[in-house]
Amino acid sequence: MNFPHNRFGKRLKTMLKVDFRRMFTMPLFYIMVGACLVMPILILVMTTMMDGTVSVNPQTGVETVVEGFDNVWQIIGSASTAESTMSMDMTAMCNINLLYFIVSALVCVFVAQDFRSGYAKNLFTVRAKKSDYVISKTAVCFVGGAAMILAFFGGAMLGGSIAGLPYTMEGFSATTIAACVLSKMLLVGVFVALYLMWSIIAKQRLWLSLVGSMMTGMFLFMMIPMLTPLDATAVHILGCLAGSLLLGLGLGAISNQILKKTSLV
Amino acid sequence: MNAIEIRGLTKNFKEKQALCGLEMTVPMGAIYGFIGENGSGKSTTEKLICGLIHPSSGSIRLFGKPHTDSDVRAKMGVLIEAPGCFPNYTVWNNMLLQAANLGIKNPEEEVRKVLKLVRMEGAAGTKYKNCSLGMKQRIGIAMALLGDPKLLVLDEPINGLDVDGMRIIREVLVDITQNRGCTVLVSSHVLGELEKVATHYGIIRGGKMIREMTAAELEADCRTYVALQARETSRAKALLSCKYSRVEEDESGCLRVYDQATPEEVVTYLYDNGILVSQLQTAKIGLEEYYIDLMKEGR
Repeated sequence: MNFPHNRFGKRLKTMLKVDFRRMFTMPLFYIMVGACLVMPILILVMTTMMDGTVSVNPQTGVETVVEGFDNVWQIIGSASTAESTMSMDMTAMCNINLLYFIVSALVCVFVAQDFRSGYAKNLFTVRAKKSDYVISKTAVCFVGGAAMILAFFGGAMLGGSIAGLPYTMEGFSATTIAACVLSKMLLVGVFVALYLMWSIIAKQRLWLSLVGSMMTGMFLFMMIPMLTPLDATAVHILGCLAGSLLLGLGLGAISNQILKKTSLV
Repeated sequence: MNAIEIRGLTKNFKEKQALCGLEMTVPMGAIYGFIGENGSGKSTTEKLICGLIHPSSGSIRLFGKPHTDSDVRAKMGVLIEAPGCFPNYTVWNNMLLQAANLGIKNPEEEVRKVLKLVRMEGAAGTKYKNCSLGMKQRIGIAMALLGDPKLLVLDEPINGLDVDGMRIIREVLVDITQNRGCTVLVSSHVLGELEKVATHYGIIRGGKMIREMTAAELEADCRTYVALQARETSRAKALLSCKYSRVEEDESGCLRVYDQATPEEVVTYLYDNGILVSQLQTAKIGLEEYYIDLMKEGR
């Protein structure tokens, strides 16, 4: 009996079609993109309102002054020339880099749904090549993550104007900001590959994939400001692209092996 | 060429051995009834065939190729445990997703066709989570039928189906094997239903295949017996047990005499011993009784 040969390109095309359809019909995707749009608006407006507020710890009597954002771009990042401080204030904590953690929810839920619903059984019965699944999921989640970065950027622009914050650029320009956002979008690939690996290890156990993703994501988190400064250049873009491709390939290969060696139900 | 050829298949789950050297041959175009007790290894075998779990040792060949061959696997349909559907999607969207997954050229047309085949076209707009158990089973079968599969693996497909649903599935299975050259591996505990369609049988116990046979071989192997009702059942049974090695009494008080006894012989024997027979007939044991006997032999 002859069976038609399915080329890699055709297999991947159908897989991508399915995954994109699923992503764009998943309410969680729209909720997360919406949250990414609203989050910077809330952060910028609220921190501006609270700027300069003094709070006193009743037990120690220590006074803390709430410092808001000085300009809109602070929520996107800082220039590489800026003083590097490991402060834990609002501006350092609540910025676009938070999204690298939030993306983990999108990836983990997306993959866990495949295994929880039993869809993975149908899928892997007719698709012996596990690499199709890994490539397709990485690509689709990367697009989802990049859309979240763009939504956050849009929200930041809107929030800045609502809060009345200045858009002054010192040491960087509109071009470098575009390069910075592009670098950030490309860097999503690294995190998506990592989260995908955890999701594949955990399969239907969503909690495990989330915990694993968050914990390992934290190690990569530190390098984000360095790789994507506001004064980013082509070197930063290429660096993020290369990092995404290399780690994406490496972690993708591990994910592929996990799928090959472990039970899929 | 055989559709499925399994040789020396073993599967260990930590300390438990689910399959121990399983041998199985499913000819092309067959409806292979795969029978066994709970935990005998049926579902494990099916998952291994579908590549969902990995064998500890042994080989599985599908249409003469290794079961990992992606071209062969693209022509398989599966329903194991439950249909893999997203609960918040409608039946139609779930089906379209699987059709897209298979790379079907006219997905809408194909989905419409298979839904019609299992009489589920009216439920296309229903969310999967709102479907009844029977509806879900039919959807699962429809999903497995997408893309004109050459091998269908169905695990308990008639669970939760009503009489009409069972009839429809029977008709579908016969149609796809006879007219589309599909081979079906079906496991079920509803042996009476399986008997109506299966062309081949495989009986598994404790992870080993204890018997494989065709429907014709089963027919020949199924013993005839004389069923009778006598006035004094217990005395009649005692008397018959002296002459025949196997005499059984069923729930209705009817006596069954095996060992190729003829009705004339049995009636004459009882009459000579002063027992009158009120009802008499010859019958043949079915798959269910054959299976129960086989299981008893092994215990």
